[in-house]
Amino acid sequence: MENRLDYCEGGVNMILAVCGKGGVGKTTVSAIAAQALAEKNGLRALVVDADPAGGLGMALGLTPRRTLNDVRKEIIEEVKEGKRDKRDLSVSLDYLIAEALTERGNMAFLSIGRPEDEGCYCKVNVILKDTIEGLAGRFDATVIDAEAGIEQVNRKVISSVDYMLLVSDTSAKAVRVVETIKDVADRMIGNEGAGLVVNRVRDRAEIEGIQSGTALDVIGWVPEDDTIRRFDGEEKSFLELPDCPARAAIRGALVRAGLL
Amino acid sequence: MALFDEQLGEVRRVLESMSAGGAARQFAAGARELWDKGSTLVLQEDTALEMGNPSVASLSLLLWSEDGGVEDGRITLVGPDVGEALKSGSLPFAQVVIVDGTFESEYDSYRDIRDAVYDTRLAGLSIRTMPSKRTLWCRVGRDAADKGLSLIDLGAALIDSVKRLEEVGSAEVVFVTSSAEDVRRLTSPAASAQRLVDAMMKMYQEQNFDCETCEYQDVCDTVMDLKKIRSKLTDSQD
Repeated sequence: MENRLDYCEGGVNMILAVCGKGGVGKTTVSAIAAQALAEKNGLRALVVDADPAGGLGMALGLTPRRTLNDVRKEIIEEVKEGKRDKRDLSVSLDYLIAEALTERGNMAFLSIGRPEDEGCYCKVNVILKDTIEGLAGRFDATVIDAEAGIEQVNRKVISSVDYMLLVSDTSAKAVRVVETIKDVADRMIGNEGAGLVVNRVRDRAEIEGIQSGTALDVIGWVPEDDTIRRFDGEEKSFLELPDCPARAAIRGALVRAGLL
Repeated sequence: MALFDEQLGEVRRVLESMSAGGAARQFAAGARELWDKGSTLVLQEDTALEMGNPSVASLSLLLWSEDGGVEDGRITLVGPDVGEALKSGSLPFAQVVIVDGTFESEYDSYRDIRDAVYDTRLAGLSIRTMPSKRTLWCRVGRDAADKGLSLIDLGAALIDSVKRLEEVGSAEVVFVTSSAEDVRRLTSPAASAQRLVDAMMKMYQEQNFDCETCEYQDVCDTVMDLKKIRSKLTDSQD
């Protein structure tokens, strides 16, 4: 598979969305994908934690000073104070988002944050959609750790994705969820490709069972890995993750998908 | 009298006092070829110099006059230019754009000039503005710094942008990078200009002239041009 970073329109601006059921290890996969991209010289990576439950910032050892939800609240305050000029608000949004980016080397991290109530999820998702569309074009690669489930795909919050990295564990339920996500994505948003990474696999028999039961392209499987468990438990940054079976497997999947 | 005469006078007095110490240098916009336009995102690791970072003093101000008192094409710099400040890594930053012309529709003219300033983008320079706080945050990329990007280039580009507007006859730009204290000396005229703009925007956008409850009644009652705008708008409603 030729490298998607090379063939994406203009040779840059690849957008990778990491999707799956909650608890399958999307954030771990996102963090290792981010680590792999950050190590590519000359490449600028945007990493977005689009999951209100959060976690990617901690996985990367990055603590955002502000989130997209904070930006949303500040824009609302501006409007309440009578500042309603669209151009001024748009320019303010650009400024506040730049402030919300946490940078480490060639990587910039943005977190959606946790809205206070149900209604706010929709509103912050609207800003997230516009932000991704505006900001991703300025980076060579964007990794989006999506909210668990199909909601953000269904609502086109994540749209025009170049590649969907579908993450599942070995449970039938988790595989069915990513199949649904792929199905919704094919109907609702553009994507150039999708591949399944199966996490926490005990043995080859498990993966063969999954491969035979799904039409999804299985591009990799990740074994249970004590290093990952330790890094998680000790809240260490995955940017410092040494070579280990899980890291090798995820990187291998990214290579097979043409993303590295 | 034009809308911003008082604020312009205050800015000129501040600049004169800065110039008295020999700190101000003046350049002509036409002396250099215009820098390439472009919209650049400059990450921290690529930044040669940051100006007006949110944690340091920053100010952005747009004023106009209608009495021909603007020195067309003049760029005034108080403090170091980009190439002179690279070792410091970060500078306080004020940008004042002053235009002269005839502004019959104040609201439309203000927005056109403001948009021209916002749309001025140079390759290798990342610019972000927070209008409500009147701040401006710039990052000069390493490549651009190596190629000699200067505040004169930014000033020339701003003058070029605003002069493309029919109503603008002349334009000049002032940059202050000398110290946070010097930048803050422009805060007062900037804040009062902001109130005038907010009052004008509210009048045009809301078309509500219940002055008894309006938070801008004090400025509207005292600034002649705002009174004229209010009369013009109320007359058009009759």
